[in-house]
Amino acid sequence: MIRNLGGAVALLLSSTAAFAASHGETGVTIVLPEELDIVDPCEASRSNVGRVVLQNVAETITELTPDEGLQPRLAESWEDLGGGTWQFKLKDGVTFHDGSAFGATDVAHSLERIKSENISCEIGAKFFGGIELTTEVVDDTTINITADPAQPILPLLLSTVTVVPEETSMDAYVDVPVGTGPYTFDEYNRGQDIKLSLNENYWGETPTVTNATYVFRSDSAVMAAMVANGEADIAPAIALQDATDPEMDFSYPNSETVYIRLDTEMAPLNDVRVRQAMNYAVDREAFIGTILADGTLLATAINPPSTIGYNHDLEPFPYDPEKAKELLAAAAADGVPTDMEITFIGRNNNWGNVVETLEALTAMWADVGLNVKLQMVEVAEWLEHYSNPFPEDRGPEIVAAMHDNANGDPVFSVYFKYASEGLQSGVRDAGLDDMIAAATAATGDERAALWSDLFEYIQMEQVYDVLLFHMVGFSRVNPRLDFEPSIRTNSELQLSQISFK
Amino acid sequence: MKTFLRKRAVASAFSLIGLVILVFFLSRLTGDPTDLYLPVDASAEARENFREIHGLNDPLLVQFGRYVWDLAHFDFGMSIRRAEPALDAVLRGFAWTLQLAVITMTLVTVMAIIVGSLAAYRVGGVFDRLATFFSLIGASAPDFWIAIVAIVVFSVGLGWVPTSGTGGWEYWILPIAVLFIRPFGLILQVVRGSMISTLSSAYVKTARAKGLKNRPIIFVHALRNAMLPVITVIGDQAAALLNGAVVVETIFGFPGVGKLMIDSILQRDFTVILAAIMVTAFAIFVMNLLIDILYAVLDPRIRY
Repeated sequence: MIRNLGGAVALLLSSTAAFAASHGETGVTIVLPEELDIVDPCEASRSNVGRVVLQNVAETITELTPDEGLQPRLAESWEDLGGGTWQFKLKDGVTFHDGSAFGATDVAHSLERIKSENISCEIGAKFFGGIELTTEVVDDTTINITADPAQPILPLLLSTVTVVPEETSMDAYVDVPVGTGPYTFDEYNRGQDIKLSLNENYWGETPTVTNATYVFRSDSAVMAAMVANGEADIAPAIALQDATDPEMDFSYPNSETVYIRLDTEMAPLNDVRVRQAMNYAVDREAFIGTILADGTLLATAINPPSTIGYNHDLEPFPYDPEKAKELLAAAAADGVPTDMEITFIGRNNNWGNVVETLEALTAMWADVGLNVKLQMVEVAEWLEHYSNPFPEDRGPEIVAAMHDNANGDPVFSVYFKYASEGLQSGVRDAGLDDMIAAATAATGDERAALWSDLFEYIQMEQVYDVLLFHMVGFSRVNPRLDFEPSIRTNSELQLSQISFK
Repeated sequence: MKTFLRKRAVASAFSLIGLVILVFFLSRLTGDPTDLYLPVDASAEARENFREIHGLNDPLLVQFGRYVWDLAHFDFGMSIRRAEPALDAVLRGFAWTLQLAVITMTLVTVMAIIVGSLAAYRVGGVFDRLATFFSLIGASAPDFWIAIVAIVVFSVGLGWVPTSGTGGWEYWILPIAVLFIRPFGLILQVVRGSMISTLSSAYVKTARAKGLKNRPIIFVHALRNAMLPVITVIGDQAAALLNGAVVVETIFGFPGVGKLMIDSILQRDFTVILAAIMVTAFAIFVMNLLIDILYAVLDPRIRY
């Protein structure tokens, strides 16, 4: 009997080795927190889709890299022809996974498709809202793209556009994405896994990883256990409490910035002294290493520090409750209703420990005499408060939000968050609108300088919001891999950047 | 029997119609799926386009009429999120859940009947006390806690089984073991109680007086009569599993219908929510019918 039991245990143990190494020595298994509902490359700006498809299966015309800035990918070079038109020279000799040749007509089709009215592509909705794109195919490897209104950063915008063959349907999402990338999309066993394998005809350098399997687990503890157990190699997004092993766990700036959007049109928030007081009242350092992860940075802009034009000279507001009280007293003396109730809208599950963060902020504001009432709501109700037009019968309101910009340029954020017509802007400032327009239209060093001035104006002169934290994410990586997560890990996971030790 | 089946079918059809109406309108109360599907930065134009594509701009009654018309043609509609027919996603998930439920309930039933019957034979004995103690713990321990502890101990610690996912037989061990515990505890208690009352009845005493051995007394004569209340509880527990073992499916990454339903509710994927509810409601109707038939088989006095 005991011998039989021992045999059964031995059998179990031997089968364990089989599932731990099932992906092969040059294959990797990646465990994602969310199953992919759609695998179409035009949805690659969504992090769960992007981590599988972006630059692995479907490539972009240009590529933003954290250290080198904007680089060519499917383009060789580009040139501003003026009048909103840019000319792109494309790589020659590139083929799609279906064997067809890549060319200018595919780029034209991909740009048209992301704006198709019959499917709802996130890349089109997120990056090209209000922009008309027209294309002129000059020859097989040359295309002129005109944006109306003119986009000085069109090459950067094209780093978001995945290129698909011109035969791809305009009316339906694809089930099997076809691109030019180093990996082909082989299988999608819905609910279970996705399998990619090496594209033997890839135009670029051959990557080390030969195949990848993506599996989906929504529980962070399980994702971490899978990497610890050798069942997976990378868990790109685990929770702070599961990142317990310094040998395997990495923290990285995840391009998310937490801030409090103020409705600057209403009293008492229309007085700059009240806005300053709200900033001085917050002990930002107290959050880090307690309810927020170590490594979280204090923010002085709505974009992460790697964004062009980030003003590194700006200092976060120091914690100075006495100064906050003085400012409020001065405002009250001038008739500003500083004791008026301010509704503070937070969104459930917006980030880890969101409730604790917002409750602590509320308490800090109460300590200096502000009357802030916290209200946690679900995403749809939160959007009603966050997005214009705001409810007409509202009182003074502030909204906690987390904004993601991994695209390297403030243009992806600033118009939406600060322009008078911006969808989530609580600011109505014609001067600022002009500054945004000027920075958006500028190029090169002038552009960086204008953004830098603009951030100083927002943070120091007008104090239009309460900027708080640049957040960090956590990944667990199997020690057999030579891979370190970066700011891009929030939106993509390029298999070609992974090698083995 | 045929009349009974016809009556049950008609009653169930009315229930399903009521369910469709209720779920259709209640799910619409949760808000606009556009808010969840598109990024917060999406333009008003993109939002409008999304609503137009998915018919969300039409008045609610028009949307309902269109849904019922499609349903009459067995068309459950396309999933808003998944770019595939809602019914395909649901049936795929249901197949996984059905396998999980059938295997678990078979094991639970066999084990609970054996252990419960033996515990009832010597009430207050060591075996009875142990069985009662562990079944009460099993019936009251939370699934998610057992699941995480099981992964930490048996997968990460001992390395005996995979943490999660699907694949060979070894992937089924932990999910089934975790799902097993609660219904086993509950059904064991019912079997025990029912057997205690049956074993004290006159015909069992007569059988003992005739010199019959314990095994045929318990498992042939007493068990069949003790099974009626047990069948009811088994049906109840099986229905809960068919509705989706949400916690277990979520933790173990098991692609069942329970996880699909929760994801669809969170994403406001209305067509999948409705299809999932219709499919599970139909499955529960079939199961209840089987239980009714089983009653008649077990107790010849019951006739429909």
